[in-house]
Amino acid sequence: MSTESESAYAILGQEVPLGSVDKALKELWGQDDARTKASLLNFAIYSEKAESMEENTRLLEEITLEQACRGLLILAVPGEKRSARAWITAHCQLQDGHKSVCSEQVSFLLEQGNANQVRNVVFAHLDSDLPLACWWQDNLTSNFDERLYSVIDVLFIDSSKWSNPSADFTTLLNALSHDSVRFAVYDLSWLRSHLFRTALAACFQDVVALAELPKLNRIEIYYSKGNRLSALLLVAWIGVRMKCGLDMAGKDIRLQSPEGILINVSLVETTGAEHLQKIILRSKAATFTVTRECGAHYVCSRVEIGDHIYEEMLPADSVSDVALIVDQLSRMGGQSLYFQMVPMLQKMIG
Amino acid sequence: MPDLQNPFQETLIQRHRAESCTIVIFGATGDLTHRKLIPALYNLAAAGDLPPQAKVIGFARRDKTDEVFRNELAEANKKFSRSGSNEELWSRFAQSVFYHKSEFQDPAGYEALKKKLDDFDKERGAPANRLFYLATAPDAFAVVLEQLRAAGLNKAPEGKWARVVCEKPSGTDLATAQKLNQQVDQVFAERDTYRIDHYLGKETAQNIMVLRFANLMFEPLWNSRFIEQVQITCAENLGMEGGRGGYYDTSGALRDMVQSHLFQLLSLVAMEPPTDLGADPVRDEKVKVIRSLRKWRGLKEVSENVIRAQYTAGSVDGVDRVGYRQEDRVNPKSMTEAYVALRLYVNTWRWQGVPFYIRMGKQLPKKATEISVHFKHAPQAPFPTAQQRGTRNVMVIRIQPDEGISLRMLSKLPGMQLLMQPVKMDFRYSTSFGKASSEAYERLLLDAMSGDATLFARRDEVESSWAFIDEIEHAWHAEGEQPPMCEYPAGSWGPKEADEMLKRDGHVWRRM
Repeated sequence: MSTESESAYAILGQEVPLGSVDKALKELWGQDDARTKASLLNFAIYSEKAESMEENTRLLEEITLEQACRGLLILAVPGEKRSARAWITAHCQLQDGHKSVCSEQVSFLLEQGNANQVRNVVFAHLDSDLPLACWWQDNLTSNFDERLYSVIDVLFIDSSKWSNPSADFTTLLNALSHDSVRFAVYDLSWLRSHLFRTALAACFQDVVALAELPKLNRIEIYYSKGNRLSALLLVAWIGVRMKCGLDMAGKDIRLQSPEGILINVSLVETTGAEHLQKIILRSKAATFTVTRECGAHYVCSRVEIGDHIYEEMLPADSVSDVALIVDQLSRMGGQSLYFQMVPMLQKMIG
Repeated sequence: MPDLQNPFQETLIQRHRAESCTIVIFGATGDLTHRKLIPALYNLAAAGDLPPQAKVIGFARRDKTDEVFRNELAEANKKFSRSGSNEELWSRFAQSVFYHKSEFQDPAGYEALKKKLDDFDKERGAPANRLFYLATAPDAFAVVLEQLRAAGLNKAPEGKWARVVCEKPSGTDLATAQKLNQQVDQVFAERDTYRIDHYLGKETAQNIMVLRFANLMFEPLWNSRFIEQVQITCAENLGMEGGRGGYYDTSGALRDMVQSHLFQLLSLVAMEPPTDLGADPVRDEKVKVIRSLRKWRGLKEVSENVIRAQYTAGSVDGVDRVGYRQEDRVNPKSMTEAYVALRLYVNTWRWQGVPFYIRMGKQLPKKATEISVHFKHAPQAPFPTAQQRGTRNVMVIRIQPDEGISLRMLSKLPGMQLLMQPVKMDFRYSTSFGKASSEAYERLLLDAMSGDATLFARRDEVESSWAFIDEIEHAWHAEGEQPPMCEYPAGSWGPKEADEMLKRDGHVWRRM
């Protein structure tokens, strides 16, 4: 491993032998009476990108600001020979002006790491009796194995980062079909549009607007680069909620409403920091718009039905993955809707 | 009334979004509107929880324009909003806030209000629901309600609702509470009547039901077989600041806090599990607790089980404080209690023989509200000596501040001897959940708009609690001999008579 990589590992804290992680953690807490160890869950971040440890340490530190946890960073990379290294550190926050509340971080570098090794590392170092949330960064590779995911309680994925979304959705669905599996899945691509969807739902929260819903004939979604999947998820959501069928004409996407109306769907890549920039739903007499063009923390909705125009300013989704994850850990909630959309989504992906 | 079938809305299960409504606040220039109601509505808007196209009308007698009213509220919001005040968001929110000048007793004012509401509906393109918030003094309720009825405002447009929210106090005794309830009942049905007790809107008060009924391990122990006593304390470290003496001297600790907030906490602790979390099943169980309280009647019973006191000069947080009777706007010969402690018994199979000690006081050493559940001693074997048996387990539910729950248990001290030390398992909202709780009024306003009355007091709850309180008040103000008014120095934990009341049972107040 190069010197550059070694200096990147300095952020991981104190290196300890793999078999002595727990002992080293105990010594860490024993040293300082002013610190309180806090842990409500195990939070693992799994990556196969060699340069990810430093960034993931920073992400974990941000997560511990809101969610006290035992953090596990797992980096599995190819290597010349099989090896495993471990480090411990802690992220501490001040409480009441002086006392520190700290969350542990245990980092593992597994070279030539396979599913067994990943699993054993995770199993041996969980804080017992606490749930395990795992943020699986990047593709669902062969290390995403049944004996590993059978112990996961919450799985965060980001389907917009998958190089082959179709294959990875298949992997995910196969995993969920196992009896031993109990994890809830939260896709960051989907979570990124939570408040966007809330704003869109608000547009139809009265009888006059609701009457226009069956008459929709056009959907336009503007998304920023790399977020087409989030846009497709939004289309799938609208389609499922309105009980539409999918009508693909080549690459063009259309939904067919129960009333038989064809709804043309237009997905436009545009610039901007936010993953989803704007959505416009149109019928002959009405336009419903939700847009991020009103500041970093808000979305603006606009309903135009004839002469009646109504606008609202509502909270917006964060662009930060950490904020999305922390928010979701605070909310939890079901996922059945997401999986209702996946079949339509897979057809749109092709 | 069928719910709006918005296919997009129903999927967002975390959001409890009500349909469009107009909120009319009577007494809009008062303190409550500025400190609590408007900041709560603003924060609901900021969180995206305010119903779409919601409008707020402030109804009061002073002469103001919409603009002046909005500017005043803008200043108040900057001071009192828990999330601060975003200029752009406030600007949009304020556009939906209006002022309506009228005397409470002026019929023309209500006709004009009706026209305003109808105009808003036309603007929306459809009728909206109506929420009338009585943020006035209770003696104005009757005239406002009568005028609402006369103008037909208590009847909502077809397919919509009209509700009334009544601020506490809900009367000052049983007779006035019943009269008030009758006045409301003549105008609004009970299902459309929402009586505020803001303690119920607190996250930790709501957590009591979750703690008890979502965790299997506590309920089998939650009875007289395992629990020795329960204490509920509401301590305040302030006196009559801000000119409150004038109002407080007509009320007192028993009527101001015990009848409402502390009895609500008592009900949540002592209730049976409801059949479901609907408003009436929950409130059915709560009212049974109040009805089951053993009543204290007459001088002897009240003296033995209720201690009242006033604070004398002392010092709180290092600052000298005058005695209660020397406070601004307090009668120098006042017989109003600034402190009350009660021993209560809930006469049910579950709680037979378990004392519930409730106390509330001003000018105590700190501000804190908590419930402590004290378990009985473990059986004698296998720890035969008193030292080995150690202290009892205590569960503490901290309502405010430092919201959370702790459990005191015994652990062995390291060493050769079998010695024990109490240790505490502690859950704190502040370190466990990063997400900030909403203010009580945000939750309560949203629930009123959504039609969930679980966190509001029902008519029979209010009247049952007043019936209990009345017996004590009668004894206190009877002709001839009355129970004594005790004293305690400001900054202490109350009168020694309150300590002696517990001591007779072999108990002590928990050190907070």
